[in-house]
Amino acid sequence: MRGAFIGLAAGDAAGWPAARHRSALLAGWSRRLHRELDAFAEEHRVTTLPVPFALNQPVAPLAVGPSDDAEWLAWTALTIEEDRAEAFGRLAGRGDVRARVSVRAALDNLAAGKRPPASGHDNPHHFDDAAAVRAVAFGAAGRDPARDAHVTNAEDGVLGAVATARAVAALTDGAPMGEAVQAALGALPADTAIGHAAREALAAARAAGSPFAAVPALDAAVLDHVYSYGVAAAQTVPIALALADAAASSCGRPAEAFGAGVSAAACLAPVADSAPALTGALLGCAAGHDALPAGWRERVRVLAGCCLPELAGADLLDIAGRLA
Amino acid sequence: MISVRDRARGCLLGLAAGDALGAPAENLTPEEIAARWGVLTEIERGGTDDTEYTIFAATLLLRHGHALTSEDVARAWREEIVARLDGPMRGAGFSELGAVEALRRGLEPPLTGRWHAHGWSDGLAMRAAPYGIFAAGDPDEAARLVEIDGRVSHTGEGILGGRAVAAAVAVAMTGAPPEEVAGAALRAVPEDSWTARDLRAALDVAARTPRAHLARALHGSFARALHDTVVVAHYPWTDLAPEAVALAFAAYAAGGGEVEASVVTAANLGRDADTTAAIAGALAGAGRGERAVPARWARRIGPVAGRCLPVVAGRDVRDVADEIADEIVKGL
Repeated sequence: MRGAFIGLAAGDAAGWPAARHRSALLAGWSRRLHRELDAFAEEHRVTTLPVPFALNQPVAPLAVGPSDDAEWLAWTALTIEEDRAEAFGRLAGRGDVRARVSVRAALDNLAAGKRPPASGHDNPHHFDDAAAVRAVAFGAAGRDPARDAHVTNAEDGVLGAVATARAVAALTDGAPMGEAVQAALGALPADTAIGHAAREALAAARAAGSPFAAVPALDAAVLDHVYSYGVAAAQTVPIALALADAAASSCGRPAEAFGAGVSAAACLAPVADSAPALTGALLGCAAGHDALPAGWRERVRVLAGCCLPELAGADLLDIAGRLA
Repeated sequence: MISVRDRARGCLLGLAAGDALGAPAENLTPEEIAARWGVLTEIERGGTDDTEYTIFAATLLLRHGHALTSEDVARAWREEIVARLDGPMRGAGFSELGAVEALRRGLEPPLTGRWHAHGWSDGLAMRAAPYGIFAAGDPDEAARLVEIDGRVSHTGEGILGGRAVAAAVAVAMTGAPPEEVAGAALRAVPEDSWTARDLRAALDVAARTPRAHLARALHGSFARALHDTVVVAHYPWTDLAPEAVALAFAAYAAGGGEVEASVVTAANLGRDADTTAAIAGALAGAGRGERAVPARWARRIGPVAGRCLPVVAGRDVRDVADEIADEIVKGL
């Protein structure tokens, strides 16, 4: 369980969007300057792209560290005993929460009196992977993620959560990665986008032989480069399953497999917000916490509070341990 | 007595006029529109994807009639849209682009409509009117036909948006009043759907709005109330089918089914204004016929340029309407 949580946080930290999420902790004007530098680069044809920076502010938020997915996972673990609509309902109307489109829309729906499953269905991003990330907690605890998923998601968004929870649950019980991936696939009908993509991604990654070798094949097989947001469960969950599968079968030691899978996921720039996190959860769960690289274990324990301010300084390892 | 041909022309001219009128207001808020135009009532430029995809759908319908299959539609997309592309698509929405990508990968419907993330878009609702004309008086058949088309590019609420519009046009083609037309839309979708919930809520707002305030087919508090009711607050794209269909029907109901009032009301609500005004225009035009479409608008509607779909370049919505009407007469 601790491996799944810390593995997810390490993957979350490894993707390039983490620094942008964490820059939410800096003053608003520093992000405005960032946007202006982006416009400057565009206007002046400067290829040196701006990165989040801290002018006259603490630099700690911009160091490698966990961001949105680790915080929402922690929140899920801390509230897992509660009715899901009630737990989310307490967040509705708060002005200081940052979340995916699906969660923002669901909180608005709850505030307007819509209950699940309508809160997750009447939702422009019902298909995203917010519930799949939270499902790591449900899978690790051996619980069904469906009620939680239906608050914020529908269809592929819910299927992605069920598949993720099944894989994590199997790994927590000690099953090998191949069995865990099969358990996840069993939740994904082939005539859905997520089920089709999962089978395509697994075949592409197996043919490539290793996670890093699979990066171009996964880009071609799963990503369409048409839509503006890279958190569709039909893309990120299949990529995580495929890279975890390829890593486990091509790498000798679990720690090596963890690094290879997460690194490869972080190379897929459009889905680097959450695919590395989901990949990290699967491979971290398989490896176990103590087998993960020490530098990463230390770096991702303490949450930043960039999405849920009350979690600033919280110890993710401690939260995972309490769930166990 | 308004003839079938007159209603068919009214429907597609109303659609084309709404498309053209709403185009410059797309993605603007009602407040931004008011600041720029006061009330946007005059067509400034040509139509967009709404009119061209509508003509494309009508072409398939004329070719296959009641025997239309999703495989026919997929083949037509492959041969007449995908094969003619010599670069990126132009003037298309996410759902059309996603469907083309899926077809290029060799997928077949319904997976082509599910494979991309935008299956809930209003891209089917925008091209649904010909099915309602063709199945005039038979909303179930109109909804069945548009769903067959929609499986190529849409899924879920995107299909429901198309069903609602096609069924409603089929009833509007009988000259039924707006309440009956809106009722047909609601009956064409499951009660427990986003489309039904948004439609009911938007029609409630329209029913509470006194017509006297709609002297110029628009009232600021009406637009704000509708936005607060059905517009998704924290999402930037405006082409959600449940929202667009709800805005279009509210404008049509508030406009009393009159063409100019319905279209102007829809266009001035903003969001996906070309599509919502096109839908409102199709409903009102089918109900009131060609002569109810303002002459100053009709004069601006000529053969389409084929900017979005080169295969339909040169086609005039009047000819398309006449051909569908001829098919109906032949079938009687």
